[in-house]
Amino acid sequence: MTHSNVTRRRFLGTTAGFAGAAALGSLAAPAIAQERSVRVLTVGDPFQYSLRELLPEFTAKTGIKVEFEGLGYDALQARLISSFVSKTSDADVINVDQMWAGQYTDNGWIQPLNDFAKGDSDFNINDFVPETLHSISTWRGNLVTVPVASYSQGVMYRKSVFEKLGIDEPAAGWTWDQYKEILGRIHGQEVDGVKMNGTVVCGAQPVPVVHMFSQLSASLNAPWFKAFPGAETWDFTPQMNSENMKRAVSLYKELYGLSPQESINYTWFDAGTRFSQADIGMFYWWSAYFTLVNADGYMTGAPSKVKGDFGIVPCPQDGTNPSRVSLGGWSLGMPSTAGRPEEAWEFIKWATSAETQKAMGLNDKFGHMFSDFSRESLFADSDLLEVYPFLPQARAMLNGADGKLARPPAPIYTTLEGIFGLELNKVLAGQSDVDAALEQVNTLYTNALSGNFMLPYVQPSFNDTFDATKALIASLA
Amino acid sequence: MSHAQVAPARPNRLRAWLPFLLIAPSVILLLSLVLYPLLFALKNSFYFWNLQRSAEPLQFIGLANYKMVLSGPEFLPSLTNTLILSVTGTIIEFALGLAVALLLANRLPGMSVSRALLILPTTIAPVVVGFLFRYMYDPAGGLAGWLLTLIGAPPPAEGILGSSTTALAAILFADVWQWTPFFAIVLYAGLLSVSPSLIEAARLDGASAWTMLWRIKLPLVMKTAVIIIILRFMQLFNTFDLVLVLTKGGPGLSSRTLGYTLYQQGLVDFNIGLASASTWIIVIMVNILVTLYAAIAFKNWEW
Amino acid sequence: MIGQNTATRKITLYALLALVMLFFIGPIIWFILLSIRPPSTAFTMPPVLNFTPDLGAFTRTMVDPGDNSGQAVNSLIVAISAVLLNLPFSVPAAYALSRFKFRRKKFLMLWYLSLLMAPPVAFLIPYFILMTNVGLSGTYLSMVLVMQTLTIPFSIWLMKSFIDEVPREIEEAARIDGASGWTIMFRVVLPLVMPGLIVTSMFAFVFAWNNAAFPLVLSSQRTATLPIGTLSYFTNTGVTWGNIAAAAVVAMLPPMIIFLVFDRFVVRGLTFGAVKG
Repeated sequence: MTHSNVTRRRFLGTTAGFAGAAALGSLAAPAIAQERSVRVLTVGDPFQYSLRELLPEFTAKTGIKVEFEGLGYDALQARLISSFVSKTSDADVINVDQMWAGQYTDNGWIQPLNDFAKGDSDFNINDFVPETLHSISTWRGNLVTVPVASYSQGVMYRKSVFEKLGIDEPAAGWTWDQYKEILGRIHGQEVDGVKMNGTVVCGAQPVPVVHMFSQLSASLNAPWFKAFPGAETWDFTPQMNSENMKRAVSLYKELYGLSPQESINYTWFDAGTRFSQADIGMFYWWSAYFTLVNADGYMTGAPSKVKGDFGIVPCPQDGTNPSRVSLGGWSLGMPSTAGRPEEAWEFIKWATSAETQKAMGLNDKFGHMFSDFSRESLFADSDLLEVYPFLPQARAMLNGADGKLARPPAPIYTTLEGIFGLELNKVLAGQSDVDAALEQVNTLYTNALSGNFMLPYVQPSFNDTFDATKALIASLA
Repeated sequence: MSHAQVAPARPNRLRAWLPFLLIAPSVILLLSLVLYPLLFALKNSFYFWNLQRSAEPLQFIGLANYKMVLSGPEFLPSLTNTLILSVTGTIIEFALGLAVALLLANRLPGMSVSRALLILPTTIAPVVVGFLFRYMYDPAGGLAGWLLTLIGAPPPAEGILGSSTTALAAILFADVWQWTPFFAIVLYAGLLSVSPSLIEAARLDGASAWTMLWRIKLPLVMKTAVIIIILRFMQLFNTFDLVLVLTKGGPGLSSRTLGYTLYQQGLVDFNIGLASASTWIIVIMVNILVTLYAAIAFKNWEW
Repeated sequence: MIGQNTATRKITLYALLALVMLFFIGPIIWFILLSIRPPSTAFTMPPVLNFTPDLGAFTRTMVDPGDNSGQAVNSLIVAISAVLLNLPFSVPAAYALSRFKFRRKKFLMLWYLSLLMAPPVAFLIPYFILMTNVGLSGTYLSMVLVMQTLTIPFSIWLMKSFIDEVPREIEEAARIDGASGWTIMFRVVLPLVMPGLIVTSMFAFVFAWNNAAFPLVLSSQRTATLPIGTLSYFTNTGVTWGNIAAAAVVAMLPPMIIFLVFDRFVVRGLTFGAVKG
């Protein structure tokens, strides 16, 4: 008995040993690709799902195979940073969030695309709404990425609620005071048996709260720094305790007071989802939600309670001062270490082309959910207008929009956003008052900026104005 | 127990070296995997290296990173939260686990099936547990809020994760849910080893149930418990994934932990130097705690 | 004074047991229900239980576009490889620590233990650089290797406790019969500690299967594992709860099945050798 046992065991042992060795051998084998291919690393936003459906068309057209990977925001950041540090090419095309473009370029992680764009008549750079390129894709006078999804911010309000409460529908040119006054009239009222909240804000730190708040600081003309980015000489002396900034934060706190209390922990989608639950009178948020709030649940295609019962209007302005709209979004960039730059450019060009973007907008596998166009021609496209009738309004909101003003892409933006987001969250939570919080932010900004050798700033500056971007576009056309 | 040494019949050189030959591969592999990150962090903790500013370490800055970490407004709250989380978490998980173990030790039909099922929460990935509880805690229609309202203890208006009074407790609760079964099973295994004759003898002596628990059962299971207590304490000390999925440290700093602060410095803010300094501060703290604990808890161990 | 097996006592015990099981197993069932719910009932309170099951989330995660089916295979490859690599390192070390007396043994045991206590986040970037330098970034092997920092120490502690319980006399007898050291190891000791090998492998498998931190930076599109896939449904513009739950259910199943199938070894395996004699 013992004998047979031992034999069986020896047999098992040997087999396991072989299997182990074989497994380890194959585990270490590097990925080998013979044919033309391109590796793409993106974030899992709606555009990604639509784009992915169309990948076979790209391969059919160009013969280039695509290795496509969609990651969560945190995972994307972790992967990008790791590959930058080790100077390896993890991908040929990467997704770049608006505020990352500057530091990625300055550190040499992504390469300018000027030469690719200039020599390529198919690219048709003139079709891009110049504000989107200025906000998302340019740095120091170079085209460093190409927008694949652009969002402005606008107000969504419930038509039936306004009607029942006898409130006039707002129109462009209105003010934040009027906005607040309307919210006050809605908040706490019962409409069709539903107890209404005036509005809903994003309170979650650090990124979501800054994303939403920064529309207010842009509207109320409260810049973060003394002179950046539109200045001959950059000066990063923080202006976080300015009077206008205090007004903006106070306003945001008032808006939170007119929101469901749980919005203290709301991220991007929580606010949008809440609006589609039909107990919010009106709110302002990224234009992606003009479409997304129509669906009950993300990627379901099922109609929400507010579908067909909300209007869209530009963000209010501060008194008579013209409004500045936040403009953000995702773009495609090319790592300096990209192993296949030609294929990478082919992909970037294809994914951002009018034809592909239109097909993405018309794709309804998970319900129509992509209308975040950057190209002029698409806002007037009759097929798209049928699906997204609000496109002319969305286009109008891009006029004069400036993402670099709302969230200045300073080299240590993420650190600053972390500081600011935390303090904003504390103000909403009642753990800190506006003045104390902003003094704290200003102090911490000063420390962080000095510690990172940005006060004073001795590196070259670039007068990054909208005109400079227009000149760049002209030179690349 | 007798710990008689295996007496070598013919002492030879190989036998003397055998234990080291057997141990060496594991030590070499582990050292080569652990030393690199530790030395990497040690070196860079003295350098200014913020990837947002430059791809290379810029310059030697001495202890500035350490100073920055220790003087940062989030350091003390993070440390406090981390200690609250690890101390109360370990105590609650041990106490609840012991209670469940005592319940399971009653040999009734159905107990063994229940015990087998009970381990399930512990086998789930922490990330998944995070999502599970985010769903349960959802202020708009989560099961937890509904149940709390049902029993007359409605959650705060800001939501369970949105209120500074409940956010940290909610993270703790998720961890307790996942790891109490682990304590229960381990302590149950310990209870099984208490010899029935010992119990019988104590009972004949008129010992109460409490006396038996404190004087006989607990001392015997403590030997197993010392290992899992320190393991859990340290895992709790490093908590970051639950915080990442559930609260991101909010509201304010109410639920920020050291692990999450480290994550933010390294993988969000890309500040390698600062994150390296944080790493070493945590490593030093952990080592002091482990050494102190080992000196007390493992004093009477036979190795 | 203890009312042995009286009806009241039984009822009390079963009531307590029911409460315990509801508390620990209820949330799992609640999450599994989420994966087959129509989305409209996901956040409806009081809970809706009479819904028509909707397998759409499983279709989306596993079939079309089916991102997670490949990731499940990757998770399996990583977890099984982690087990196979773990045993040849941990079993001999555990044997030596159990059978021989030498100086610094206590220090060594505590050193292994201390490795389980390092903050994993801190090591992600250095590990990525290390793996890139040796040309392994993005491979299964890179993940399998760094996971050994978790599995080997734990396995050594577990295995040592099992080997401790094999009476030395058996080895002595074999030695007197003229068996060599290797023969004793492979033909005498290992068969006797088979339950230990099973439990150790179970835990190593689950550690590797559940690990999300290392694949976060070390995996690539071809080698990404399930936890990474789950995270990708939690995006800025929306959370696909159904998809998360469906992927999570698939991620929960293998560890659960393993623990239920090998249940009889679990209790025995979790004593860490502290309750012997």
